[in-house]
Amino acid sequence: MTAAPAIEVRHLTKDFRVGLKGVKLRAVDDLSLSIPRGQVYGLLGPNGCGKSTTLKVVLGLVPATAGEVSILGLPSATAEARARTGFLPEAPYFHKFLSGRELVRYCAHLSGVPSDRVESAVEEAVALVDLREAAGRLVGTYSKGMLQRIGLAQAIVHDPELVILDEPTAGVDPVGAAAIGRIIEAMRARGKTVVLCSHLLGQVEQVCDRVAIMDKGRLVLEGAVEEVLERRDRHVLTVDALTPAALAAAEAALVAHGARLGAVTHPRRSLEELFRELVTGSRDA
Amino acid sequence: MKAACHRSLWIARITFLEAIRQRFFAFLFILGAALVLASGAVRVFDFGHSELKFLADFGFGGLFLFGSILGVVMTAQLFFAEIDNRTALTLLAKPLSRAEFLAGKFLGIWAVLGVFVLVLAALLAAMLGWRAAELAQLAADRRLAPPECDLAGLALYAALQWLRLGVVVAMVLAVAAAARTFLFAVVVGALAVLAGQLQWLSQELLLKPAEPGLGQAALWLLTHLLPNLQQFNLGDALVLAPHQVAAGTLPWVFLSGVAYVVAFLVLATFLFRRREI
Ligand SMILES: Nc1ncnc2c1ncn2[C@@H]1O[C@H](COP(=O)(O)OP(=O)(O)O)[C@@H](O)[C@H]1O
Ligand SMILES: [Mg+2]
Repeated sequence: MTAAPAIEVRHLTKDFRVGLKGVKLRAVDDLSLSIPRGQVYGLLGPNGCGKSTTLKVVLGLVPATAGEVSILGLPSATAEARARTGFLPEAPYFHKFLSGRELVRYCAHLSGVPSDRVESAVEEAVALVDLREAAGRLVGTYSKGMLQRIGLAQAIVHDPELVILDEPTAGVDPVGAAAIGRIIEAMRARGKTVVLCSHLLGQVEQVCDRVAIMDKGRLVLEGAVEEVLERRDRHVLTVDALTPAALAAAEAALVAHGARLGAVTHPRRSLEELFRELVTGSRDA
Repeated sequence: MKAACHRSLWIARITFLEAIRQRFFAFLFILGAALVLASGAVRVFDFGHSELKFLADFGFGGLFLFGSILGVVMTAQLFFAEIDNRTALTLLAKPLSRAEFLAGKFLGIWAVLGVFVLVLAALLAAMLGWRAAELAQLAADRRLAPPECDLAGLALYAALQWLRLGVVVAMVLAVAAAARTFLFAVVVGALAVLAGQLQWLSQELLLKPAEPGLGQAALWLLTHLLPNLQQFNLGDALVLAPHQVAAGTLPWVFLSGVAYVVAFLVLATFLFRRREI
């Protein structure tokens, strides 16, 4: 028997009632997804397409209008399913009067970490998100990047099998986002399943194994990143020291074999790559 | 069960920390304490009962009024702080049931009100004890009987008020669990407390002969569903005339108070169960 998928969503529909008249707003429309274990899975789509709503239904925070959801083979919205799941909500906000370490400790107790293991679990989680020095400061003084990272720490303090991250890099600078990307990769290396949702496509492309793209509550594409992005009918050659004569000769040779040269351009690096080459770190933590 | 209690107590602990940081709490706390202390400056000069009664009534009134306001407003505030700031989103995504969450909120707020009641009652006890001793001395000089004042009765009164506030908190939590806004929860919660306090009025009305109709049905619901909060106000009888409380009254008041707390928490959980977070 093969293990159940990390998350299974079948024909999920969610309507919100908005305004005084209770007009229906369909946030998620007949969505079916099966998220395999041990991978980083990206849920993509524009703002308001229903990503967060889907995740909230998966966690049982919002009841579904129709359809079924299971986590690790368990019906979602059960305490057992949630004990094996960690969640970082969108634009997280925590009790300001707690220090980072107190917050993570609080969450460890709520997540069922045995009392004698709480301290070591807290230190491990805080170290993983690289906040060991700032962990004694009040959460109210944290920058956005630090809030996301302490949010990540509280989500993983009980060592869950499945980690669900809603826009973990929103509002975080590229260096901080790359750090979060590395944390996600570290979790994959430990065999965790990570589901993240985002509209920052460049980031997702780098960390995700599979992606699903949603639009207006519907699923429009799903597949492994490599397969989805590769254009198997086209090829790119990267050439150094190309002279006009060499180019003409190469084009002639290609034509002789029935191929056709489409375009000759210079490769570009992304602004993000450039930024990360030039800037070494933020002052957070 | 042990794990559930552990989680509830953690919610209670953080709720307590949040509550005692509130300016609103500090304000009413100081106001209540000031009222009790200020009442000590009053002199009636009849060397007895009426002066102690004045002192006690001032203290009972402060405890009752500020305790009620704190109970209603703080409960609604601390509940909606979790919902509106979306901290509830983080917490309820954990293996924490909604019943545990509400139980934790209840315990945290009730603990803060316990501190409030304890401090005010201790201040009142100090004032009463001091004046009663002075008055007893004066009465002895004139060969009069000393005025009665029972401080153990005051402790019992404080416990009853704490229990009454527990009923208030549980009731407001049930309202807040179904309410969309903080203001609605405060207004409806305050009305419910007021109606509970005026139970004896509706009970008397119900006993009068009247046409059976909608008004009568509403009255019946009001008297049977809302707790009788007035029954906790035994201050005068307990402190100033300690032998007047009928034997079965106290156990009954305690038991019904605990039953109302449990019933309202169950109702709150039921209303909160499918709420979108
Ligand atoms: N509690 C709610 N009440 C009413 N409408 C909502 C609620 N939550 C989300 N929506 C609506 O549902 C749609 C999907 O929202 P959301 O899932 O947050 O999108 P995303 O996370 O993809 O940006 C949006 O149109 C949003 O306005
Ligand atoms: Mg979202």
